[in-house]
Amino acid sequence: MDPRMCRKISSSESLPDADNVEFEVSNVIAPQESDDNFMLEGSPEPHSVTWLHDDEIEDLDPPNFYFNRVDSADIIYRSKKKKCKMVGKYVMGDVLGEGSYGKVKEMLDSVTLCRRAVKILKKRKLRRIPNGEQNVQREIQLLRILRHKNVIELVDVIFNDEKQKMYLVMEFCVGVLQDMLESSPGKKFPQRQAHDYFTQLLDGLEYLHGQGVVHKDIKPGNLLLTLDQTLKITDFGVAEALDMFSPEDTCYTGQGSPAFQPPEIANGAEQFSGIKVDIWSSGVTLYNMTTGRYPFEGDNVYRLLEAIGRGWPAPPPAWVGASLGALLTAMLARDPALRPGVHDIRRHAWVQSRPPLEPGERLVSPRSRRSDELHNSTVIPYLVERHYPSSEEYFTERDLRHELCSGGSRTLSTAELSEGESSHKRRWHSSCGRLPSCRLT
Amino acid sequence: MPLFGKSQKSPAELVRSLKDAVTALERGDKKAEKAQEDVSKNLVLIKNMLYGTSDAEPQTDIIVAQLAQELYNTNLLLLLIQNLNRIDFEGKKDVAQVFNNVLRRQIGTRSPTVEYICTKPEILFTLMSGYEHQEIASNCGTMLRECARYEALAKIMLYSDDFYNFFRYVEVSTFDIASDAFSTFKELLTRHKMLCAEFLEANYDKVFSHYQRLLNSENYVTRRQSLKLLGELLLDRHNFSIMTRYITNPDNLKLMMNMLKEKSRNIQFEAFHVFKVFVANPNKPKPILDILLRNQDKLVDFLTKFHTDRSEDEQFNDEKAYLIKQIKELKPLEH
Repeated sequence: MDPRMCRKISSSESLPDADNVEFEVSNVIAPQESDDNFMLEGSPEPHSVTWLHDDEIEDLDPPNFYFNRVDSADIIYRSKKKKCKMVGKYVMGDVLGEGSYGKVKEMLDSVTLCRRAVKILKKRKLRRIPNGEQNVQREIQLLRILRHKNVIELVDVIFNDEKQKMYLVMEFCVGVLQDMLESSPGKKFPQRQAHDYFTQLLDGLEYLHGQGVVHKDIKPGNLLLTLDQTLKITDFGVAEALDMFSPEDTCYTGQGSPAFQPPEIANGAEQFSGIKVDIWSSGVTLYNMTTGRYPFEGDNVYRLLEAIGRGWPAPPPAWVGASLGALLTAMLARDPALRPGVHDIRRHAWVQSRPPLEPGERLVSPRSRRSDELHNSTVIPYLVERHYPSSEEYFTERDLRHELCSGGSRTLSTAELSEGESSHKRRWHSSCGRLPSCRLT
Repeated sequence: MPLFGKSQKSPAELVRSLKDAVTALERGDKKAEKAQEDVSKNLVLIKNMLYGTSDAEPQTDIIVAQLAQELYNTNLLLLLIQNLNRIDFEGKKDVAQVFNNVLRRQIGTRSPTVEYICTKPEILFTLMSGYEHQEIASNCGTMLRECARYEALAKIMLYSDDFYNFFRYVEVSTFDIASDAFSTFKELLTRHKMLCAEFLEANYDKVFSHYQRLLNSENYVTRRQSLKLLGELLLDRHNFSIMTRYITNPDNLKLMMNMLKEKSRNIQFEAFHVFKVFVANPNKPKPILDILLRNQDKLVDFLTKFHTDRSEDEQFNDEKAYLIKQIKELKPLEH
């Protein structure tokens, strides 16, 4: 964690006993680093200050912070203990991503040794989101029935009443299409890659619609990839199950992401064809994956919905080719009845032939937030710590700098650092999994 | 051109010598052994041309295009399949590999081999009849399933009279053949949703009278698999009109009620998923309603005790509770 990201709380906050021990240690180390240390020599009673981990900050009452200046030389770090934590039969790993509902972490099934991902839902957070609890209930209900190669599988649901948490254990995925798009040149995929994903999206959609499920929130942010590049449709929070005995696919509510909503919803239609909503959003998704742009734009949500409501998408750029251009235009037909079904889309020339990789184009690979190309398990360090506990390690800002200057090959890679610096969510990481929770007294 | 060794045969030469060898093998005269050898050798050469080997890349597109063209012109694919049982074990597998590779070939949006087979449907029918012969059944199966991926070819198979032979193949006594045939059968009925729905609708009576026999089969595996597939077909929205038609027939309801009482718990469970559709239907026709009403108390009692150990399966328990409530609340139609 970046020191600047750490927030201090005053000594009036209750501190765990362990901090006193660390204070002594810092006394020993700090003078080595800076001989004229003001804090140690000048002030008889230094403030005891605690650095908190992000998780802990969330649980604090916000108004009680105040900031005071600390010289970087005074900071010492402690490598974060990888304390092995179990939920049911699963061993917890690091955070994979964060949604509005809570964190997603990696897990390892200790019985089958399968890698899993877990969506952790806090009841307290859920209540603050409109329809939050209801949406989660619906998602669980739907995911329990659905079983398809291109639909995320819900493996297990665990409740912890004491902590007011719910754990949705799911298939392990390595990345979200949205993140990959953001990291790629021009924020788009080569047509070859977009084609691979789009055909899988069609398979998944056809299955969902066959099961009478309308997703209503198809977008790159809800499409995941597994290690073997299988696309998984996820997030059924606003999905709807159609009445089995109704021949129509009429839906009444649309709660998806604005940029991917069709004109009928933007115009506030009271009822509309659910299946054609998914076709539209898949069209916007394909548009976005292949051009890096959106067919409709607006300065704010209202302008955006207004533009969508008028129903004149920005024509796909000519360089995508006539074939893809025609497909996109057809999928973004203003009149839902004119939009092609999955079956028709499958027969379209662009879908039928797999576009070649143009010279100079490179496939975009899934990125985890750890920028670990091999997608190593993040659970292993916890297990190592559990079975081969190491002595606690302290290190200072100077050590860190020293390590970085000397190539940073041992514990910190420079690639990780430079990336961390460019992103506002800067974090320290190291190959040994050192994520410092730093403390200062 | 390889640097060492014999210079390579052109696709035309290869195809011609393979064809000669297969024809000799078909005649079955004294030279059969030599022919057998030639067939295997040439098949390996063609396979390597398409797939490459550990030290050679697959041939260029032009060579492969020439090869495919020769295969179409000489009708060698059909000849190979017709004589599949005469080719040795490895050769059979090579035929399947060559066939599947050529089938997948694409030029832009076109699939030339698919177009070729559309003009020569005997190829498909010969493959389907492969299930009659134990020694080639699984080879034919892999080729058939590859064909079934293409809508045009699946359509030819579904709408042919030979399709109804599948109802026999899935029940044969050799387990691997029966299950291979079943997976092809299932692929044909589920792969292309629109095509399948149209087919089932147009041939409803014929298909379901055949299907009924599978559900009543002596063979446990056949009964279980076909019941499971029936559930999948009926619960897929693409087959909406087939579902509504199926659940208006009281005979189908009676069959499902009997299957609910089967000895096998798996069959009971699969039957439950079809039975529930009859009960949940908001517009039950009178004959269906009458049967349910006649058995109202018994059904409530039965379902209350039905698979009570599945307490983990919330979905199932919710559905069961829903059915019990529905049946309890059933009232005769008022006139």
